[in-house]
Amino acid sequence: MGIYDIAFWILTVIAIGCALGVILSRNPINSVLFLIATFFAISGHYLLLNAQFLAIVNIIVYAGAIMVLFLFVIMLMNLNADVEPQKGRLVQLAGVVSGGALLLVLLAALRTAKYPTLESTPNEIGLIQNLGEVLFTQYVLPFEISSVLFLSAMIGAIVIGKKEDSTHSA
Amino acid sequence: MKAIIAATILGIVMMFAGLQMKNKSSVVTLAIVLAFLLLGVNIWDLVATPATAPVGYFNNMLRIDRYALWFSTLMTGVTVLYTLLVGKEIQKVGVHVAEYFALIFFILCGVYILSCYNNMLMLFLGIEILSIPQYILAGSDKKNLKSSEASLKYFLMGAFSTGILLMGITLLYGATGSFNIVAYSFLQSDALNPLALGGVIFVMIALGFKVSAAPMHMWTPDVYDGSPTPFTAYMATVVKASAFFAFIRLFQVSFGSISSQWTVVLSVITAATLLIGNLTAVFQQSVKRMLSYSSIAQAGFMLFAVLAVNAVAWQGIIIYAVAYSIATIGIFTVLMKLKDYTYDGFNGLAKKEPLLAFVTTIFLFSLAGIPLTGGFMAKYYVIQAVMVQNQFLWLVIFGLLMAAISVYYYFRVIIAMYFKEGNAELHAPVTQGEKVLLVITCGLVILIGIFPQLLLSWI
Repeated sequence: MGIYDIAFWILTVIAIGCALGVILSRNPINSVLFLIATFFAISGHYLLLNAQFLAIVNIIVYAGAIMVLFLFVIMLMNLNADVEPQKGRLVQLAGVVSGGALLLVLLAALRTAKYPTLESTPNEIGLIQNLGEVLFTQYVLPFEISSVLFLSAMIGAIVIGKKEDSTHSA
Repeated sequence: MKAIIAATILGIVMMFAGLQMKNKSSVVTLAIVLAFLLLGVNIWDLVATPATAPVGYFNNMLRIDRYALWFSTLMTGVTVLYTLLVGKEIQKVGVHVAEYFALIFFILCGVYILSCYNNMLMLFLGIEILSIPQYILAGSDKKNLKSSEASLKYFLMGAFSTGILLMGITLLYGATGSFNIVAYSFLQSDALNPLALGGVIFVMIALGFKVSAAPMHMWTPDVYDGSPTPFTAYMATVVKASAFFAFIRLFQVSFGSISSQWTVVLSVITAATLLIGNLTAVFQQSVKRMLSYSSIAQAGFMLFAVLAVNAVAWQGIIIYAVAYSIATIGIFTVLMKLKDYTYDGFNGLAKKEPLLAFVTTIFLFSLAGIPLTGGFMAKYYVIQAVMVQNQFLWLVIFGLLMAAISVYYYFRVIIAMYFKEGNAELHAPVTQGEKVLLVITCGLVILIGIFPQLLLSWI
């Protein structure tokens, strides 16, 4: 067992443990903190895959920006108390049964699945240079088209966020 | 390809027009002109592209064939009709009229991507470009609490279904190592991989959500009911139809060779959609809510086309999309004129506005699938597609039974209009121009009913 394997298993245990912590802890603040730890562990996995760019972006965007937003929302709305409404027993049971059935099906599928090897690509695929090249050659269309998506999201921010002044509506 | 660029540019033009134009009705006029322009670009694209083998663009990210171009053109035509009929009502929703139209142009961009995508990434982008403007349009009536609720509900549920779609794409990529929907290696069914099958199911659920198939339909009544009516008319027609086109494209082109693996699941979804949509529609008191359940029921019939993996299904989905869209936009246009959205609001409409009552009757006939209207031919084609497949006879019989139920709730409106005493109150008197437009729409419905081949002649 090399250093790579040891790192992989440690990161995996952290990731799964913290992910469980997210859904099991009663306090929303703890959930968010667990989620941050999960993201860091996953970033570690990206590093092991030699995808430095993805690792950094994951930390900046998810662990940084989005989690700060989560914390802000929790603090501003004062959600840190355990005020989660309790679901009925029957609903809980139905959730467990359907979720468990999905888990069983997926496990059964994954157990017999064949994984095609993707080793044909060079090992430096995750470096920024290669990522940029792929993004601007092979995947240039999705890259450009996504601007329409962001544009409509920006319009949405204006339409929903701007105060409607009835005197202006001529 | 030209149309995608044009739709984006026209959307941006619309945005800047909002900066310059202070008069709402001139914004609407501009939107109508731009919609016609976009239709022109689509027809240019259709004429300029030779009817030979499909052309791939950008490393086969898009694969443009006759079906894609023709479907885009038809949907743009429906949008032109929509802007003409509903443009005036959009003015009343809120102050950002230009932005609403810009969003509609962006939705059209998504429609074009979904009609010609050849790559899972483009599918994802198309679905998102289709959906995000809708979340905004659903919540555009900010003073109305139900509109905000619709927007939030749609956004949260939509984000969840996007997650499921991405999970499905991930599984498919893991199984095949490719995003290209034509190159999927499980096209040969001996190389079948459970991982890929999981992906197929996830993608089916996510797309089923977008077309509001049961049991993923829960959001539909609240969202359609809560959204401002002009935007409900668009969501229920063009958007739903193009989500269906994306659905059929993926499941025929890509998963068609392994159809025996997923048709059983889809047939159960279809049956559930027909059952829930039709039975729940019977109990509604508001016509707007009834129409949203009816759109679920109609989705059940459109699922027939996805279920039948053959060439007739493609024709069926095109005819169904157009016939259903035109009739639904027509009936929503009439609904917007009324003050009261319940069945009682229609009481005595025939005496007050005979023409309005007559066109409504034709639209409802079409939705119910009465012969000589577009809806009949549409149902005929999708059912024929399943019959050719010769596999799901029980589903066809069940579908016909459900169509019979649908006659009940559609005809309740007609009975209210013609046989009940009352004073159907209108917001404003119907102008001459609107009457002409409604008669043209009504003529289109009948034209499709008599010559459905017209819609297939360009393929």
